[in-house]
Amino acid sequence: MAADLAELKRMIEEALPGAEVEVIDEGGGDHLRAVVTAPQFEGLSRIDQHRLVRNAVRERFEDGSIHALSITSRVPD
Amino acid sequence: MAADPELKQKVEEAIAQNPVLLLMKGTPDMPRCGFSMRVVNVLEQLGVEYGAIDVLPALQPLREVTMEIADWQTFPQLYVNGELVGGCDIVEEMLETGELAQLLGVEQPEDAKLPEPERILPGGPQTSPPMQLG
Repeated sequence: MAADLAELKRMIEEALPGAEVEVIDEGGGDHLRAVVTAPQFEGLSRIDQHRLVRNAVRERFEDGSIHALSITSRVPD
Repeated sequence: MAADPELKQKVEEAIAQNPVLLLMKGTPDMPRCGFSMRVVNVLEQLGVEYGAIDVLPALQPLREVTMEIADWQTFPQLYVNGELVGGCDIVEEMLETGELAQLLGVEQPEDAKLPEPERILPGGPQTSPPMQLG
């Protein structure tokens, strides 16, 4: 099953209300990157920020639609 | 699936015994994955001593172990003082901002660079031999 970038974006936005989310295919549909700016990241370590994003799309890992997701997380200015 | 308790204990011991520990695909001298190679490159630029474990011989069991230990299953994983810092993205970002040098208690190299992947030469004087889990 191929990854649906718009769906991944929506899943992250639903898990992190107010977040700005971009999901990019970095090549071949297999190397995805989520660039996420979210107020919920404030005060969290980077790995905890990444865990929030990963958890938002966990179902898509489990059903095999995505294998790897690189994450760029930012706290809003 | 529950992680193999013996393997989990070995990983926990390795994390406890090595202030800086990299779980990677391949070895520092011969990384078998571009992301692992990039983290090795960062650690070598900072000149820190680190332990390394090659996860490839037991990839799936180690994913289960690190899910339980650190709620993370992709490799590489860099642990500092017992805590998961992150994988390649986080490590490179923290090199650029100087946070990683600070965390490791070393000086930020003036020319901290993230070279193009093809220019990274694996290995170097700072590497320690990979640990055996078996």
